[in-house]
Amino acid sequence: MLTLREKRIRLVAYYFVLPAFAFFLLLNAYPLITVVWDSFQFKNMLNATQTGFAHLANYREVLSNEYFLTALRNTIIWTLLSVTGEYILGLSSAIALNQPIRGRTLFRGIIIIPWVVPIVIAGMTWTWMLAPDYGVINYWLIQLGVIDKPYYWLGEMNTALFTIVFVNIWRSFPFFTISLLAGLQTVSKEVMEAAAIDGAGIRVRFFYIVLPQLKTISLTLIFVHLIWTAINFDFIWIMTQGGPLYSSETLPIQIYRYAMEDYNFGNASALSSMMLGVMMTAFIMYYVINSRKSKN
Amino acid sequence: MLISKRKQWIVQSITYIVLIGFSFYCLFPFLWMVVTSLKPDNEIRTLTPSFLIQHPTIEHFINVLTGSSFLTFFKNSVYVSLVVTAASLIISIFAGYALSRFVRFRGVKLFGVAMLLSQMIPGVLLLIPLYLTMKELHLINTYNSLILAYTTFTVPLCTFMMKGFFDSIPIDMEESAEIDGCTRVGTIFRILLPVSLPSLVSTSMFGFLNSWNEFMFGFVFINDEQHRTLTPGIYLFKGLYQTDWGSMMASSVLSVLPVVIMFLFLQRFLVEGMTAGAVKG
Amino acid sequence: MRQQPMRYKKMSKLAIVAMAAIVMMTGCSGSASNATTSNEGSTDQAVTLNFWAALDPSTTEGKTIEQQIKKFDQEHTDININLQVITYDVLHDKLVAAITAGDSPDLSWGLGEWVGEFNQMNALADLTPYMNEWKDKDIFYPNVMKALTIDEKVKALPNYLGIRALLYHENILKQAGYDAPPKTWDELLQMGPVIKAKTNKYAFGFAGTGVRASQELMTYLAQKGLSIAEKQADGKYKNTWQDNPQALQKVAEVFQFYKDMNAQQVVDPNAKTWGWEEEDQNFVLAQYAMVVNGAWIEGRTSENPEGMSDVKIAAPPYSDQPATFMEVAPLFVYNTEHTKQAWEFASFLMSKEYQQAVNPSKSARTDVESDKWGKEFMKLTSQGVSFPPVSLSGISQSMEDSIARLMLKNDSPEQIATWLSQAINENLQKTNQLSGS
Repeated sequence: MLTLREKRIRLVAYYFVLPAFAFFLLLNAYPLITVVWDSFQFKNMLNATQTGFAHLANYREVLSNEYFLTALRNTIIWTLLSVTGEYILGLSSAIALNQPIRGRTLFRGIIIIPWVVPIVIAGMTWTWMLAPDYGVINYWLIQLGVIDKPYYWLGEMNTALFTIVFVNIWRSFPFFTISLLAGLQTVSKEVMEAAAIDGAGIRVRFFYIVLPQLKTISLTLIFVHLIWTAINFDFIWIMTQGGPLYSSETLPIQIYRYAMEDYNFGNASALSSMMLGVMMTAFIMYYVINSRKSKN
Repeated sequence: MLISKRKQWIVQSITYIVLIGFSFYCLFPFLWMVVTSLKPDNEIRTLTPSFLIQHPTIEHFINVLTGSSFLTFFKNSVYVSLVVTAASLIISIFAGYALSRFVRFRGVKLFGVAMLLSQMIPGVLLLIPLYLTMKELHLINTYNSLILAYTTFTVPLCTFMMKGFFDSIPIDMEESAEIDGCTRVGTIFRILLPVSLPSLVSTSMFGFLNSWNEFMFGFVFINDEQHRTLTPGIYLFKGLYQTDWGSMMASSVLSVLPVVIMFLFLQRFLVEGMTAGAVKG
Repeated sequence: MRQQPMRYKKMSKLAIVAMAAIVMMTGCSGSASNATTSNEGSTDQAVTLNFWAALDPSTTEGKTIEQQIKKFDQEHTDININLQVITYDVLHDKLVAAITAGDSPDLSWGLGEWVGEFNQMNALADLTPYMNEWKDKDIFYPNVMKALTIDEKVKALPNYLGIRALLYHENILKQAGYDAPPKTWDELLQMGPVIKAKTNKYAFGFAGTGVRASQELMTYLAQKGLSIAEKQADGKYKNTWQDNPQALQKVAEVFQFYKDMNAQQVVDPNAKTWGWEEEDQNFVLAQYAMVVNGAWIEGRTSENPEGMSDVKIAAPPYSDQPATFMEVAPLFVYNTEHTKQAWEFASFLMSKEYQQAVNPSKSARTDVESDKWGKEFMKLTSQGVSFPPVSLSGISQSMEDSIARLMLKNDSPEQIATWLSQAINENLQKTNQLSGS
């Protein structure tokens, strides 16, 4: 039983989350329910003859797609590589920016730039710069003698996905930089100095004092970005549309194809529901493991 | 002293080298945009691409500012982004506060899960359902359709950020205010927010940037020039058979610059604001 | 105790109040101040037609279109035209979303690939009765109208044509000792290595990915007398290659031709994954000698005057019979309440006056005088083939994939011929267009 005061506070709490929750209900939950519902229906705009309940037909169709496994593998590679790269670059740039040097403000401003360029524009610009015959990157690499003939970064099956990962890291790592820099600034000077007096070297100080401080923020960052990267679609769509021969196709691209190219909303919804299911499961597992840890 | 003079010098040099490398990586495409926007047409797509301009020209900028609806798009983006930022901020201050202080109630916990869940939906998937929703609300082709959609997209992240900031503020500040007879809302506005001004700035910058750069929904919800926003507007320079690179890059530069300048001015807040939330994440 | 300076406190308070006010004012109330473009309740008022066009307002052509439409608007007091410029890149997604929501414009531009799709969605108005009444109905090229007629019903009008011809850099050919472009595939394959040896440039280019890839493949299939789907007795469609070993053999020959071009260094090795942008850009930079392409390339002269100075036009090289891909860009009229007014406007867009002003070099009207550049292209109209009016998105994707399988997976041409035939029929079945299903 809650006390009267607690009840009053609870009411206040619910009032506080109400506006945000209303937005969520109207524009997230409602479409979400539609998606899960549609995944069990025949819903193809180009084929009005098949309607009604489909049992698991959509799921079967999606799983038997020749390129489903390719897309799944690519999604995992894309997500893990991107987030790893973003974290490493974010951490090293944050540490560098945390040093007491001149021109910090300027460097900080420069590092934020990729993050404010609209993705569409950035994607088209990178595509052009990476082109084999009139792109500046190949031209420079040849001038510098790194490669002897132009290489088609986005047009070769074994490099297309990695090239987009490179561009994606370029865009997202500043977010990590800012957050980790904020984390670094909370490391207390006194503790660091005390450790130094005790004879702890730079490396020891970094691993035993700095990194533990960054643990929480790192986990949050990585977790959020794993989700965001997995469902991200813009860069790949703009730069290769999943090609050549599906070598950079990820699940969100496949969802887009089902919905906007085949008009098969049943299939698109089935694939989305599966993605959602996997991510939810991962989240719940993470949550459970975390709460166990904190209990111990 | 933490380290010897010589070591300090080495650390400094390494730092500079690292930062210069990062600057190059970050600036490269942006500089390419700037350079392209200043080149005459016949120097833009050549076999010997270079950062040097033979005959600099501002014709693309003139074309963008006088020969296209760029200024209308710009105005629309400013309006939509500002409203979204303000709305998201207000909503997420309360929601974040609740997540920080009232997480003992089941409803609030559930709300937190809902916010997380909303981050897992691929945007592609929302396109048609949201279009239908907007149509039922008679909002297609209005600013409000974008404001509604963008606010929905930004609120969860802003809420989590605000929650982090409130987490880092000790609770006893509020308790003393409560004894003075402040209401809950009064407490938030009088005591907590003035302390976390940097956090408010950094949260609003996220909100602003999100709506400033959004492309897909901006395209699908808006049909006419009067309401179109920047990113879809810039994309219009991509024709069917050729792209007007000069104008496209000029308009990109014009749309990125204000944000860059804003960020340069506010970046102190950005890091400070994040610091508040960084302790507990 | 920590006391904020008073002014600071006031400031933040003010800011917050102001923000709250903004939210209140612009919040999520209904759109009172927003003029929506619906035209309900306008019975004897002027009718507003929403028209989505993918014109480019920065070009002369775009400006001419805008002027012409303004003129029509002024001359018709009962019709207002609400012109909205939307690029082709996103026009498709926007139209699909709008059709799904029952919210389509009255008229729009479009691409030939969408005719079958939108027809399947029951989005298009039947223009046959209006067409039969119209004095100009026989003035269009017959094969163009055929491409827009489904089940004896006219479902769209020809906005403009994009006929493909062989464009070649005369200087590169001269340098290699040729004074005329190749007439057949074999000649092209013979010339290729010579051109490469003498000029260090590749002879030919194609697009291995994107929409252009399937359009080019269409050309080569048509030159072997093949079509991707044939109408059957029951009014539905089917790919019939597998019913006939000879046909399969011919399809394999087409893919063999692609393979040979690649193997004998007739095309740039990168072409296998080029999209249309790379193909066009490299041609206007004179990176290779010849390409099968459309009249729009002329527009690149301002950007690359040197590369474009020696470009000449000829018929595409063929194998069994001359044929070329003819893009019929349709003008769609949708199922709306104002079909009569929409027709009036559409027939104006089809009139000689408008077509002569806007599309002098790409009109579907036989009575439009084209300029010098356009004449060369229009000469090829009679050999033009276009896609059958079925839902194409899956099919053109399969055609694109077939080239990728050949070039990147190294499947044999025979394997691919069978695979593509099956893939086309599977796509037809998915959209309920397969004969006998």
